[in-house]
Parts: sequence; C-alpha cells; structure tokens
Amino acid sequence: MTHRYIKIGATVLVLALAFAGMVWSTLRDGTEYYKNLDEVMTNPVEWRGKQLQLHGYVVPDSIYRSKTNALEYRFKVQNNPAKGGAGESGSIINASYTGIVPDTFKGEAEVVLKGQLTPDGGFHVDPNGVMAKCPSKYEPKSGA
Amino acid sequence: MASLGSFLLLASFVVSAYAASVSVVGARRRSRRLIESGVGAFYMVAALMTAASAVMINAFLTDDYSIKYVSHYSDSVQPLFYKITSYWGGLDGSIMFWVFLLALFGAAAVYVNRERERELIPYVVTTISMVQMFFLYLMVVHKNPFSTFLTKVPADGSGLNPLLQNYWMAIHPPSLYTGFVGMTIPYAFCMAALITGNLDDSWIRAVRRWTMIGWLFLTFGLTLGMIWAYEVLGWGGYWGWDPVENAGLLPWFTATAFLHSVMVQERRSMLRVWNVSLVILTFFLTIFGTFMTRSGVVASVHAFGDDPMLARLFSIFMVAILTFSFGLVIYRLPLLKARNEFDSWMSREAAFLANNWILLFSAMFIGFATMFPTLSEAVTGTRLTVATPFFNKWMIPIGLILLFLTGVGPMLAWRKSTLSNLVDQFMWPTITAAATAGLVWTLGVRLWSSGLCFALCGFVTATIVQEFWRGGKVRRKNTGTDIFTAIIGLVGRNKRRYGGYIVHVGIVLIFLGFGGNGSKLEKTEQVQRGKTITIGDFTLRHDGVKVSDDGQRQMTTGTVSVFKDGKQIDTMYPGRSIFRKHENEEARSDVAIRRGLAEDLYIVLTPDVDFGTQTVSYQVFVNPLVDWIWLGFGVLAFGTGIALLPERAYSFAMAKLPVEAGAAATTVAMVLLLVLCGAPSASAQMTGAHQPNASLAIAPPKNALEDQLRREMGCTCGGCAHEPLTTCTCGQAQEMRDQLRAQIDQGKTHDQIIEAFVGIYGGQQFLQAPIDRGFNRVAWLLPYVLGATGIVAIGFAAVKWSHHDGAQQHEQAPALDADVSERIDDELRDLD
Repeated sequence: MTHRYIKIGATVLVLALAFAGMVWSTLRDGTEYYKNLDEVMTNPVEWRGKQLQLHGYVVPDSIYRSKTNALEYRFKVQNNPAKGGAGESGSIINASYTGIVPDTFKGEAEVVLKGQLTPDGGFHVDPNGVMAKCPSKYEPKSGA
Repeated sequence: MASLGSFLLLASFVVSAYAASVSVVGARRRSRRLIESGVGAFYMVAALMTAASAVMINAFLTDDYSIKYVSHYSDSVQPLFYKITSYWGGLDGSIMFWVFLLALFGAAAVYVNRERERELIPYVVTTISMVQMFFLYLMVVHKNPFSTFLTKVPADGSGLNPLLQNYWMAIHPPSLYTGFVGMTIPYAFCMAALITGNLDDSWIRAVRRWTMIGWLFLTFGLTLGMIWAYEVLGWGGYWGWDPVENAGLLPWFTATAFLHSVMVQERRSMLRVWNVSLVILTFFLTIFGTFMTRSGVVASVHAFGDDPMLARLFSIFMVAILTFSFGLVIYRLPLLKARNEFDSWMSREAAFLANNWILLFSAMFIGFATMFPTLSEAVTGTRLTVATPFFNKWMIPIGLILLFLTGVGPMLAWRKSTLSNLVDQFMWPTITAAATAGLVWTLGVRLWSSGLCFALCGFVTATIVQEFWRGGKVRRKNTGTDIFTAIIGLVGRNKRRYGGYIVHVGIVLIFLGFGGNGSKLEKTEQVQRGKTITIGDFTLRHDGVKVSDDGQRQMTTGTVSVFKDGKQIDTMYPGRSIFRKHENEEARSDVAIRRGLAEDLYIVLTPDVDFGTQTVSYQVFVNPLVDWIWLGFGVLAFGTGIALLPERAYSFAMAKLPVEAGAAATTVAMVLLLVLCGAPSASAQMTGAHQPNASLAIAPPKNALEDQLRREMGCTCGGCAHEPLTTCTCGQAQEMRDQLRAQIDQGKTHDQIIEAFVGIYGGQQFLQAPIDRGFNRVAWLLPYVLGATGIVAIGFAAVKWSHHDGAQQHEQAPALDADVSERIDDELRDLD
C-alpha cells in the first residue's frame, strides 16, 4: 500500500512541477506590464524591450497623421490629465502607431497603449494597440 | 410602484428565511406538517419573485424614471423589446432576475422530486432558500433595484448601453443565468444527500437530469455570447478570453466533467467523492464567476464596475459555501468510499478520469489566468496582465486532447479493453484521421493546430459513425427492419448513450469552426470611392458612404460591392451607430457579415471616415468555417434533448407506432436535419433580397403626419431588420414612401391611411409595432400576466396551506405507486 502511495505521490509531484514550469515559461512571453507613464519614465532603460500597457492621456493637438499613409499616426502622451488643474503634465512621450484608432481617440483622451519603448526614447504601439478608456461601458458616469 | 417592489423583495427574504428554518426543524423532528409548510413557503417565494418581476417590467414599460435603475437603463426612444430586456441590463436587475429564475427553477425541481426524494426535500428547500436569501439580502441592503431618486426625478432615462441593444444580447443573459441557476439545483440535492447521509446512488439520478438542463442552458448562453461578440463587437472574432466570458466557461468545464464521471459512479460505484466535489465546485464557480464580474475585482470591458462592498459580501458567502460544503464532504467521507477499483488504464473509466482531470485543469488554469492580473498586483505590487496568446498557447493543446478523448472514451470497454478490441475499434477511425490529415495538407493547411484539429474531427466522427453503424446492424438483424429504422430504435432504446454521441457530433462541428480560425485572413485599408480591396477570393469596391438618423441613433453606412471571380455577388453595408445620450462613447459597429458554410466575409467600417472625399477605411476579415460553431451548437442541443427525453414518453410513443411509422419518424428526422442545415444558407440569401440603394436620398416628410407614419411603418422587403421608412433605403421602402405620399396628398387621416395600407398589404406587417393590437398588446400585458400569475400562485399556496391535512391522505397511495414503478423503470433501464 505505501509503495502505491509513493508512486502516486511521485507522479503527482512530477506532473505538478512540469505544469508549474510550463506555466512559468509561457507566462514570461505572454504577460504585459500595466504601467502609468511616470512609472516607466523614471527608469526607461529598465523597461526597454518589455511588453507594456502604458496608461496616459493624449496631449491636446499633438495628433499628426502622415500624408502618404493615412493610417500612420504620431502623437504625444502625458502622464496626467490635460485638465489636471495645476497644469502639470507629468512625463511626456512620443508615440507612433499604424492602424485604426477608436472614435474616442482625440486630444485629452485617456488611453492605454500596448507596445514597447524604442531605443530613441519613443513608444511604438502594436497593431490594434490603442485602447481609449471609457468611464465605464455599463455604468453611467456619476453626476451625468 | 417602487415601494411595492421593495416590499415584495423584503417579503421574499422573510419567506425564504422561514422556508429555510422550518424545513430544517421539520426534518429533524420528522414533522410532516412543518416540512410541507416549508415547501409551501418555498413555492411562495417563487410567486413573490414573479410578482416583483412584474412590477419591474411594468416600471420599464411605463417609463417610471423615478426608479434609479429604470432611468439608468432605459429611455423613451428605446424599442419596446429592449425596454423589457433592460430588466437584466444592469447589475441590480440582473441579481433580481437571478433570484427570480432560481425561485422558479427551485420550485420546479422540488415539485418534480417531492415524492421520489422525500427524505432530501427539506434540505433541498433549505439550501436553495439560503442561496436566495444571500442574493435577496444583497438587494435589500445594498443593491435595491427599486431604489428611487430622493429629490429630482429625471425627465428621461439615459438608455441601455448600445452594445446591449442586440437581440442576441437580449437572450444571452437569461440563458446564461438559467444555466448558472440550473447548477444550484444539483448542489442543493448534493447538500441534502450529504446532510441526511442518504448517499446511495439514487440522489445522483435526480441530479443528473438537472445538471444536463443547466449544462444545456449554459452552453446556449456561451454560444449566444459568442454570436453577440462576433456580430456586435466588430473585431472579427468571437472569443477573446475576457474575464466575463471566462466566468461562464469555468462552471461549464466542471459540469461537463461531472456529466461524464457520473456515468462511472452509476456503472461502477467509483469516484463518489470526486462527483460530490464536482457538484460543489460547479456551484461555487457560478458564484465565483458572478463575484469576479460584478465586484470589479478583475478589470474587464464587460464588467459591471467597481464595488468593494459587494466584493466583501460575496467573499464571505463564498468562504461559507466552501467551508460548509467541503466540511460536510469530509464528515461523510466514510460513506463515500468507492466500492470498486480501477482494473486497467485501458478502460473507459480511465478515459473518463483523464477527461475529468483535463476539464478540471482547464477550469483551474482559466481561473488562475483570469485572476492573474489581480493576483500579481496583490503579490508583487505590479499589475501584470496576460494576453490572448497566453490562453491560446495553453487552451489549444488542451482542447485538442479533449477532442481526442471524445473519440477514444466511448470506444474503450468498461473495466478493461483487450488488444484485439482496440485494433477492431480504432482501425477505421485512425484511417479516417490519416486520410483527413492528408486531405487538409493537400488543401494547403499548414498550421499544425488546425491540421491536427481537422484530423481529430475526422477521427471522432468516424468513431461515432462506427458506433451507430454497428449498433444499427445488430438491431436490424434482431428486428428485421431497414438500417435507418434500426438506428432510430437504437437511439430510442438507449437515449442517454446515443444522445451523448449526437452531442459529441455537435462538439466536433464546433471544433471544425475553431480549426477554421487558423486560416483566417485580415486586412485594414483606406479606400477612396470606386477603389477596391482584395482579400482571399473576394474583391470589394467602396461605393460611397452616407449618414442617416432614426431618432435614437445616427448611422454612418458604407456601401461595398462584393465581387468574386469577376462577378458581383453581393452588396454589403457596414456601418457605425452613435446613440443619443452615448455621444461620448465609442460608436457601435454595425458589422456587415456575408455568411457562408465555407467562410464568412466580415466587413467593419472603422472610425476613419471622411465624407467630403468619400474616403473611408475598412477592416475586412475572411473567417473560414465560423458558422459551423453555431450549427454545432444546434446539433449539440438536439442531442441533449434526446438524452433528456423522459423514458416513458418515448417508449409509449414507440409502442403505439407500427413499424412504418418508425420509418416515417426517420424521414421526419432527416427533413428536420435538412431544414437545420438549410436555415443558414437561406438567411444568407435573405441579405441579398434586401437591396438598399446608398445613393438614394430620402425625401423629407411633407408634414408631421407623414413623418409620424414613416416612423410607424417598416420596410416589408424581408431583408432588412424591418427598418422604419425614415431610414430604410431599399427599393421597397421607396415604393412604400411613394404610396404614403400619395395617401397624404389625398388628405386622409392617420387611421384612414393605415386602413388603406392594410388593404394594399393584406395585413399589418408593414407597421413597426401595431399600436394597439397584436404583439404590442401582448407585450404590454406581460407584466400584468406575470403579476396575476404571482398573485394566483400566492393565493393557491395560501389555500393549500390552510387545509393541506385532508388533501394529503388521498394523494398518498397512487403517488407511491408511481414512485415504485418509476424505480422499477430505472432499474430495468440499467440492465441493458
């Protein structure tokens, strides 16, 4: 009987370890860090090459569309809301993106960008990586 | 009205509490009267909740914006249908709707099993009542759907979220909730069995059927969710591993596992602890899923928002469920000992066990991955999210293994398969799989997962065909009929087994659709008017873009001509809608889909629209085989239906029918199948019949009466969604507008014109919603019917309650007879 339990125990252990190992290894390339712009900009080198979900606000009047390819965008993102009171914008970064943007993507919009930092200090957004944050899809805004 | 609603909820809570406590006391004292009283109170809760639902629907229909919930989820321009479905459009209402369904389901389950499972009933009542109490408590103290504005009452509501204004979404939540609620019934029976110690296998039989019903609704709900995502969200796919989707999938996995392992218990009296745990786990996961999506613990696009108070209450409830349930399991462990052991790994029970482990692993994996962002934030302080590729990397192989086991499991013998068995059973399926693999390779599929998926689909199909064929052959020999009649008879004789096979066919079709995903094409391009986009075999020409408005929303619609092999085959109208009061939100995509069994053409109009130059960007997808997923669900539902058919109904029908009638049944079945297959292609042609003309400008109405009539009338071409004449641009609509103008010019009144149109069209089908007739009246009646039902039910309960003693003695004897015969039926069934 004890012999049998050892066998079962060993099998379970090996399987558990194998699964843990596989989960760990796949997690490494499947995960994205959700960060505010300021958090990243304090030490950009550390975050270079990592897959990020960057949270910030589009700088008003900074959206520029390429003349040759209408789906190519360049815009600036700042850490704090544009109407944040004291006028402090926090860190600002240049972002580049090719593709379709949501309707709500415009100056001052709150966005989450999926992508990576580029060596020249900008931010390259993945295809379909622009997500404009709405207050909430299901609950009406408070005070509205 | 609001205070009546609140009162009904409060009353439900009190009566539930009474039912829960009196049942326990009754069971302990073995007092028949107390138990009956508990059951009566339990029915009463169902009646009270029905009445409360009526009040809620009535509030929506009468636009009672003094109720906060109504003002948040409805407005005056909302179509009638969505006013009713707004009942479950938000958090508070969906909890109430949940309790309503649970009360109805619970009452039905108790009513059906009240004689057969007499020992268990009081505890079943207690368990379900406790669950109801939790949700009612939530509503009464924290999320009252009937709470009103204290000061200023808004003049109009803010409207249901545009994304939810879709018929799939209208029926998706009820179906999913019914599935969830269905899982509460097995849990209640399981708890009752554990408490009373009646752990022989009879309770399992009562539970199996309810699990199947719950499972069917859950599957239906998930499928509807997928169709909705596919048609409304406009990203070209149907499953994004979003937390809310995952929440529905978790209990689905454990319920599926239970439906398989329960067979092992019935046959071999093994896995008893396992089955009990699966039932508990399934119920727990339905609550957990609700918690995850309602409390804001996990961020999701679908989630209802942040609510720490709700999170706390749910956490307490979940801990209580787990402690109590598994505490009972441990306490009853001695009674749950398996009576047999595994003989071999080459047996059906081993295959079922493997399938169970994988299903359970899937549930745990998805649970883990869904909670991962929250967990990582709690542990490391950094929010790490896991993306779709991570889920796919894991779930694709797991899905393929499950598909493989779907084929293998039923082929293995119970206890032990011999080598010659194996060769005999697996030869043809393996050959089929290899042939399928070769075929898809030559067709140019190079993705390993898709190729393997198709090959396994071939494998499983072959095993099922072989089962039917061999069974049918034996039966034909014994009964001397043709093979089709023999197969029908075969299904009738062992409905669970063959119904199960049909469910597997459905699963194979669904996987076929998943496999097609590997060859998906996607393209985003900006085009000027007259320019084309080429994708796959299709060439799409952009013919212009225009704006229209129907009072509720502003629509931007593009016109795209579709060419294949140089010939125009279709015209499609992808659009975007911006809803009133939701101007600051993302517009809703009105995706244009050209369905086909081989592939769907899926066009999304992106926000990049320039009316001046008529330049727009389209995002185009070609999705191969997607429609097989929906068809597969149809087959799956059909199979579940067969497995669920009451034994007596079928054998009765079969005994009465002569042999020829059996053949007729075959024909009917075949016709049904054909209709089923024909439906999607028919609907595909329908889009062709509707020929809107983009360049057609709708002339402005001459006077208010014409404008009003245009709104009231809908296009009758049958192709569009019965659009009002204010917006529909097809030729038929134009003709109707011309007729209308002619009538107006004659100076007729509103009613005269309607009458004239009834004469022209021979009916009222041209009206958007017959104003005081037909459906509209039915819809307006609904709350009152519901309310009346509730009141009548309350009355009945009260009457029955007050003099149940006399009535009882009469009913008892025949009921026992039915009970005995049912048991004999059951036992006989197990013999074959």
